[in-house]
Amino acid sequence: MVGAFDFVPAIVLLPFFSFLVALFLGKYMPKGGALAGITATAGSLLLSIWTVLTVAGFTGTATTYQQTLYTWAGGMEGTPLPYELTFGLLIDPLSSMMLLIVTLVAFLVHVFSLGYMNDEGETGLPRYYAGLGLFSASMLGFVVADNLLMAFMFFELVGLCSYLLIGFWFREEAPPSAAKKAFLVTRFGDYFFLIGVVAVFATFGTAAFAGDGSFPALAEAALAGEGGGDVNTLFGLDPQAWFTVVGLLVLGGVVGKSAQFPLHTWLPDAMEGPTPVSALIHAATMVAAGVYLVARMYGFYALTPTTLAIIAFVGGFTALFAATMGVVKREIKQVLAYSTISQYGYMMLALGSGGYIAATFHLMTHAFFKALLFLGAGSVIIAMHHNENMWDMGGLKDRMPTTYYTFLAGSLALAGIFPFSGFWSKDEVLYEALVHGLGGSPLLLAAWAMGLLAVFFTGFYTFRMVFLTFHGKPRTDTARNPHGVRWNVKGPLAVLAVLAVVAGFINMVPVAKLTGLEIEFLHDWLAHGPSGLTSEHYSELTHDYANYSVGTLVGGELGTALISGAVSLGLALAGAGLAYSLYNVPEPVEHTDRLGSAKDVLFNNYYQDEYQVWLANDVARGISRGADKFDQGVVDGVVNGISSVSLLSGSRVRRIQTGVVSNYAALLTLGLVALLVILGLQGGWFV
Amino acid sequence: MTAPAAFAGLTALASPMQMGQLPDWTALAPVLILAVTGLVLLLIDSIDADTTNSALLAGVSTLGAAAALAATAWSLATGVGQDGGAITLFADALVVDGMSLFFTAIFTSVVVMVTIASYDYLRDHKHQGEFYSLVLFAASGMALMASANSLATVLVSLELASLPSYVLVAYLKENRGSVEAGLKYFLIGALSAAVFTFGISLVYAATGSLIFADIAEALSGGEFVGIAGLGVLMVAGGFAFKTASVPFHFWAPEAYEGAPAPVSAFLSSASKAAGFAVAFRVFVEAFPLATIPEGINWVLAFQILAVVTMTLGNFAAATQENVKRMLAYSSIGHAGYALIGLAALSAGGSANGNVLGASMAHLFVYGFMNTGAFLFIAMVERWGVGRTFEDYNGLATQAPVACVAMSVFMFSLAGLPPFGGFFSKYFLFFEAIENGFWWLAAIGALNSVLSLFYYSRVVRAMWFEDPSGSFELGSQPVGLYAAVMIAAVGTVLLLPGFPPVIETAQTVAGTLFA
Amino acid sequence: MNPWIAIGALAVVGIGIPIGMMAVSSLLRPSVPEQGKSATYESGEIPTGTARIQFNIQYYMVALLFVVFDIETVLIFPWTVIYRSALEQGVSLGAVLTPMLVFVGILVVGLLWAWRNGAVEWVKSPRATRRKTERQS
Repeated sequence: MVGAFDFVPAIVLLPFFSFLVALFLGKYMPKGGALAGITATAGSLLLSIWTVLTVAGFTGTATTYQQTLYTWAGGMEGTPLPYELTFGLLIDPLSSMMLLIVTLVAFLVHVFSLGYMNDEGETGLPRYYAGLGLFSASMLGFVVADNLLMAFMFFELVGLCSYLLIGFWFREEAPPSAAKKAFLVTRFGDYFFLIGVVAVFATFGTAAFAGDGSFPALAEAALAGEGGGDVNTLFGLDPQAWFTVVGLLVLGGVVGKSAQFPLHTWLPDAMEGPTPVSALIHAATMVAAGVYLVARMYGFYALTPTTLAIIAFVGGFTALFAATMGVVKREIKQVLAYSTISQYGYMMLALGSGGYIAATFHLMTHAFFKALLFLGAGSVIIAMHHNENMWDMGGLKDRMPTTYYTFLAGSLALAGIFPFSGFWSKDEVLYEALVHGLGGSPLLLAAWAMGLLAVFFTGFYTFRMVFLTFHGKPRTDTARNPHGVRWNVKGPLAVLAVLAVVAGFINMVPVAKLTGLEIEFLHDWLAHGPSGLTSEHYSELTHDYANYSVGTLVGGELGTALISGAVSLGLALAGAGLAYSLYNVPEPVEHTDRLGSAKDVLFNNYYQDEYQVWLANDVARGISRGADKFDQGVVDGVVNGISSVSLLSGSRVRRIQTGVVSNYAALLTLGLVALLVILGLQGGWFV
Repeated sequence: MTAPAAFAGLTALASPMQMGQLPDWTALAPVLILAVTGLVLLLIDSIDADTTNSALLAGVSTLGAAAALAATAWSLATGVGQDGGAITLFADALVVDGMSLFFTAIFTSVVVMVTIASYDYLRDHKHQGEFYSLVLFAASGMALMASANSLATVLVSLELASLPSYVLVAYLKENRGSVEAGLKYFLIGALSAAVFTFGISLVYAATGSLIFADIAEALSGGEFVGIAGLGVLMVAGGFAFKTASVPFHFWAPEAYEGAPAPVSAFLSSASKAAGFAVAFRVFVEAFPLATIPEGINWVLAFQILAVVTMTLGNFAAATQENVKRMLAYSSIGHAGYALIGLAALSAGGSANGNVLGASMAHLFVYGFMNTGAFLFIAMVERWGVGRTFEDYNGLATQAPVACVAMSVFMFSLAGLPPFGGFFSKYFLFFEAIENGFWWLAAIGALNSVLSLFYYSRVVRAMWFEDPSGSFELGSQPVGLYAAVMIAAVGTVLLLPGFPPVIETAQTVAGTLFA
Repeated sequence: MNPWIAIGALAVVGIGIPIGMMAVSSLLRPSVPEQGKSATYESGEIPTGTARIQFNIQYYMVALLFVVFDIETVLIFPWTVIYRSALEQGVSLGAVLTPMLVFVGILVVGLLWAWRNGAVEWVKSPRATRRKTERQS
């Protein structure tokens, strides 16, 4: 029977075909290939919905799917290559949900691009749509990957596409440089990832995510003392320590792609790309890839408490750190960029503190509301004739109501205001960190505290942005007469706004605890699937290997959940209220001077760029110079020496060949005699 | 020879033994087909003396070689001489087993390509009948070499392969270079044959036998180590001549350069492989490491030969200006690689069979890529383009398809990954390391790196340099093109087709040690 | 006693007799040198010119053919010796005869080819023809 799973490859291939079509035929098509992209992503979206329904069991029994499609290396008899390198599919609740998110956002971004790119008369549209198509295809390929190596390959493709798209306006000065920065910084992380992939192969001999022979399963067996001989640890480390090293190596790629501290610096610069691309990058594809990777191989990370703690701490720190930088930014997209970093920090915090479901939940709600906010910002940018400075806006509320209300919905979700989706997911993230922190992992409490504090800043910068953009009086002529937007902008906004409002309802943990209703749909969703890939298995693992257990404040779990929710909501409202008092006035002014010397620090993003540039320029260049000296002097010297010696001795050899046949006969005989003497002496013939 | 033994020899031809339906002597079908084809060509030439009907002559010889190839392939496929153990004929003078068939496959493939190419190359020459029949006689000599099981047969078959070769090298009678090369080849050949024969007589003196198995048994007694060792070394010298190994290589650059290019292809691929075929069998069967007295350390001799040969061949090739001469030296270098098959053996080494098999597989791949390269030279000579690297500049603009084929040959000879030459070299070095001779593999790898330099010069000249003059390529030689393409397709197909080749080679080599 | 000593003795005798005979004759004979005696013996012909001239290739052709048939004889001879006794011991006629027929057949093909390609025709060299006509006139 032909089922949804037979069409899973098509989900990936359709955008890929749209890439080919746009690339080669785009200039002959109306709208520069946009229609091909829209059709392809719409098709992928429909297939993804079908896949999700199949996984959920609406079309029969709930099933999952794992299939190796192609073995492209290894398995050859007689070769010394013991590994099989394959392409394969893994469709389980997590990946099918991600498929749905990615295809939906990609589809909406394609539609929105009609308004943002086509209607604005941009040139080079085939290139743009080809990039979008390949970007979507790479991300989808990454999502369905059933092994780490395939995931890595698509991970790299995603990076390449981001480079192409961020640098779309390559004739200007800033975008190419931003693209390069994005590429290089993520590359830096991917370097560790690559070593990690090799380490996984060297350790386990496989990189499969799921199944009995998968590397998380092997790692678990090794730590449990069963079949420990199947894994090869390196450098004489015991399995636990070595798995931590491997996990951290892979985490390098995650930190780069998901823009976590200290590799987050590329993301704000990436705002130089077209806004729909920013939406795609930040909501559903590139940045999400990092967090998704951790979730995908959570069975491995759950075994190493050190890694978990580092993930949680980095996440919590990034959440707070990025949020503080977001409060002083002038450009609307910059604020959103820092909010992205901060929100992904939350997801990492959740993953690190054992909140697999919370992280996935936040990944989903964030995809919707962040896509919404970026597209809304895009709408504002269209209206403002590509002026992004919020201080030049104001009062857009009355002139573009659709954008305003949808943007407001997204902002409420981002700030975590009840009952918008962001509230539920962020609340669960903090709840997980809190209870596990209370349950005997005090380090998590520190991470939790940072995350909680970030809620306040989030509320503040979000509403500062809203008020500066939409409220008050128009501060410039363009703001007074904004450019209108069409259905192709409003449509996606409306769809996403609805999702931003309601997406949280699928997993209302405090309500469920309060009322006892079975409404934790996401919990149920992630609790089934292939054995070893379920949330229940993960919580067992974190409990067994990382000693995560649940601790509570007053009132047991219910009380803790309510307290946690109330505190975070209170902080969010406080932040929003501060923003209200400062900026919801007809003529807002900058208050940054009140921050004193902190202002400079914040404006300069804690001098992150500076120290990284210093690292790259002075330290790395110094080392490079040394290496260059070594290369030029020693390596090249040796190589050149060898080549000139070769050529010289070559011409000597040539001279032996005199052309006189009696010389040949003499040399031949001499050679034979020499051999005879050597062998005779060695063999003792003459005694 | 006593009377009963003589009868046994006589009856071997006609008495059918229980081996399927076919009598034993049919196992020699490839050799017989080659020899008969040669005789048929002589007959054609007798009926119509000085015929210049190239199509008939080339056609008959190609058909004959192809039939021999088919017979070989059929024998290999049906397991003749493998499943039921080696078939020995004529009182153990000849043996047909997997290895002899494997090498016969190499020779016949090369002969097919060479005869097809010669159709165009010889078009305006006299004495074509002689040319083709000599090629086929030489080929039957080579096939016999691969089957030889006694030093007497080795000598006779070696001379049967050599004598036509001398004449073939001097085939262009009006060309001073060709005649000079032929004479030098003959003189060095005569000297080497003298050394070789002397070696055989010494071995006979020490062991009292010419049959390999008997020699091995006699040697294990440990008597006359000095005499036997001297004999073994001189026998090795004879093979070194045939395989163009240093210091017996002096004839090679001159002969390959002066000879008609198809003959160079034939000599450098098939003749060399024949030398290795017989050397492998003689040294593994007659002088086995396991039982030979310790004083006769022929592995050391081959190690020296291998290192010196590949190094000298590659270094000399790097400084050549003439493409054909460069190929001649590269052919010497490849002889050095193939010698690893003998040099990396050790008494009781676990990978002995694999090393030898890898060397055989390398010779197989080499048969295609090297023949193709020389045939490309033949085509260039036919076009009248010069012989140096500079003359090749921009050739790709005129003959892109042929230049693609030539680039394939060059990269494959250098051992770059996507081609057959990579795998064969890789396996050769890998098995050498497996058998404990990492340093041989390292020297081989270093030499390969050096070889990339001069091979890529050809490719660079053809594709990237601007033509120094204008080309007048004129005719499109169909036969040459076809032969070059066959070689190119063979070289490329040996990438996916390599696993069966190496498997067969290592299996048949393994049975030698069993 | 080593059997090789007898062979050595035979060699000594073999070398000693001719040396002794030549030595004795040189002691006994009178020494009257003259031109006819010191001239190279050429079957009665008077030698002219130097020996270092290019011989006609035909000499080699004939010589080669001669060697071929010489060897053929050498190989046929032992075969004829065992032919009858082999038949008597029950080897079939075909088994005894076929190999020799094949061997001779190969040589026949060679001879045929050589014949057709003019190896046995005595090609007249221009110089010889010229001399002959000069002498006749």
